[in-house]
Amino acid sequence: MQTMKRMAGVLAVAAATAFGTHAVADDLPGFGSWDEVVEQAHGQTVFWYMWGGSDNINGFVDNFYGKPLMEEYGITLERVPLADTVDAVNQVISEQEAGATGDKGTIDLIWINGENFFTLRQADLLYGPWAEGVPNSALVDWANPAINLDFGRPVEGYESPWSSAQFHFVYDSARLNEGDLPRSYAELGDWIAANPGRFSYIAPGPGAFVGTRFVKQLFFEVSGGHAQWVGPFNEELYNKWAPEVWKMLIAWKPNLWREGETYPASNAELRDLFANGEVEFDFTQSPSGPASNIESGLVPPTSRAFAFDANLIGDFNYVAIPFNAPNKAAALVTANLILRPDRQAAQVQPANGFCCGWAIDVARVSDAGQQAAVAEAMQNLGDAAADPARLAAALVADIAAEYQSRIEADWQAHVLRGEPLPN
Amino acid sequence: MSDAAPTASTNVSARDGNVGAAVRKVIFYLTIAFMCLMLVLPVIAFFFNAFAFRWFYPQFIPKEWSLQAWERLDLIPPEGERTLANFIALWLEVPDAVSALWLSLSIGAVVTGISILIGLPAARALGLYRFRGKRIVEFMIITPTIVPPIAFSLGLNINFIRWDLALADAGIPLDLAGSVVGVAIVHLVPVMPYVVLTLSGVFANYNADFEAQARSLGAGPIRIFFDVTFPAILPGLFVAGLFAFLVSWSQYLLTFLIGQGRVITLPMLLFSAAGSGNNAVIAVLSLIFIAPAVLILLVASRYLSGDSSAVGGFGRV
Repeated sequence: MQTMKRMAGVLAVAAATAFGTHAVADDLPGFGSWDEVVEQAHGQTVFWYMWGGSDNINGFVDNFYGKPLMEEYGITLERVPLADTVDAVNQVISEQEAGATGDKGTIDLIWINGENFFTLRQADLLYGPWAEGVPNSALVDWANPAINLDFGRPVEGYESPWSSAQFHFVYDSARLNEGDLPRSYAELGDWIAANPGRFSYIAPGPGAFVGTRFVKQLFFEVSGGHAQWVGPFNEELYNKWAPEVWKMLIAWKPNLWREGETYPASNAELRDLFANGEVEFDFTQSPSGPASNIESGLVPPTSRAFAFDANLIGDFNYVAIPFNAPNKAAALVTANLILRPDRQAAQVQPANGFCCGWAIDVARVSDAGQQAAVAEAMQNLGDAAADPARLAAALVADIAAEYQSRIEADWQAHVLRGEPLPN
Repeated sequence: MSDAAPTASTNVSARDGNVGAAVRKVIFYLTIAFMCLMLVLPVIAFFFNAFAFRWFYPQFIPKEWSLQAWERLDLIPPEGERTLANFIALWLEVPDAVSALWLSLSIGAVVTGISILIGLPAARALGLYRFRGKRIVEFMIITPTIVPPIAFSLGLNINFIRWDLALADAGIPLDLAGSVVGVAIVHLVPVMPYVVLTLSGVFANYNADFEAQARSLGAGPIRIFFDVTFPAILPGLFVAGLFAFLVSWSQYLLTFLIGQGRVITLPMLLFSAAGSGNNAVIAVLSLIFIAPAVLILLVASRYLSGDSSAVGGFGRV
């Protein structure tokens, strides 16, 4: 039995290295080679801390990672569900304060991005750099700024991408015609004026980044383009356009749901308003649109995704390994498995219940069997998905993290509470 | 009402009095009915949500029913595969909700037992004796209900990790942080005030002379406890145990911080499901969450009535 498992392990290594052979010893601190990682990982348990609010995602992780990890690598996956990823960040910080260094921590892998990544990186509490050292990272387009920057901060090999998401919208095809859909913020403004009380958006604020993203994209449109926003935080640029954006959102208020006195606070609240017919649009981040919500009976089966013509932010989410992770080898194997083309193909299909899109550049997949899996997945996005070509045409990268907190604070002051605008 | 009839024809004011009594009776029953409704309605909503599918406005009652939330929680096999063998196979794998239920029950039971062992002597001292600094002791005991748990649990977590490291260095592989033992210990913090408060109320109304009497008749301390003290304080013990169990049962933050997310009790599952906004799944977990509490309340209800000696605070506070 033991030799069988080892055999499976060796085969898996052979398969993995077939997709990318540039694993260099220096790229995996503490390990001499990828073989050594796989050997050491055998028999380990990987404690993977992740937001656990979706039973679809939980089930996907258990089935599509838990099983192959055990069968091919002899690794046990322990998924630890979190109500908020910041809890895992606090745990790592507490452990460091208590002196639990080396491999005396408790967390092996965290599903992470943005501020949480930045907090751990700034405190130097992450293991790495390793992300460009795992074999399947050869499939990742590390030259893409949307991947090598996380909310404008350099990734530098301290986290490895899991999946991608892009902001777009959902409507109910039983209630609206595709031809009448707004395709820009300007058109949305007209639509709101013509349909009072039928639109709302998630209040920008901590923990509601989708709402912040909705407003951030309006900055791009109002200022005439996304390009000028790339790079470090630019106070002058922000101050120039912010009043325009607030004026526009304040002008919408009387025609919003509940006259803009209150806004849904989370994705789930906006989704419920949409499902109950109180508003006409929901937001989505998934390339398959509302498909998994339709499956769960959370929105009407006639729900469909659609995209604006421009300025829709897409980004990547990652996995990171804390500096004191007790099972670093198993964490590395898990991060590598995540990027395997057949797992990536599984995660984009709505039937499997995961939320999001590709992390790998599918054009880099060379193995014939894996190419077939990728091609099949492309066909299975479902009827509810937005046209991938339109989404790709509107894709822009997220911008520096400072904009996020500024937008949240200023939106609450001027739009929500009605404090006067600076002149 | 039967004795109201003869007087009603002769005495107007008496008839008014009886009408008043009847109205009062109606109001009384209406109030009771309203209170019951307020208590039962949310539970009914859970039942609807747990089995409803695509329950959107303007449906008053769900049009479609489904067991999908139960399927998602691995409590029943998917449609078409609901054979006895599949049920058994599924449950042999122990669904997350079942293991969480079991863990919550175990922690609750252990915490209840320990809290009473610790709380009983303290409550006896507070209930029966007057001593210097009693007020301060009482205040100290209530503080956990005043201080928010987040204030002490973050620090406690760091200390637990430190102790674990020190113990490991000393060759003792005991984990407090991230373990069931650590979680049970930390649950005692919010539980103890309720136990001591309830039991000291019992002892405030307790006459220790009975023990002296038994002693004079030749009973030893163990016999005195089981034959005299224990029967007298039993209702109070029941209520204290109930409080202890329910307080432990509903802990989220302490379990999360000290359990480091690894000790997955029912509130952990419930909180993480609440984030998704899938009402059906939340409702199923909620039903599992309230079921033991309701059962225990039903069993203990006779000890909870107003004329029971069980509830009395510190006595003369």
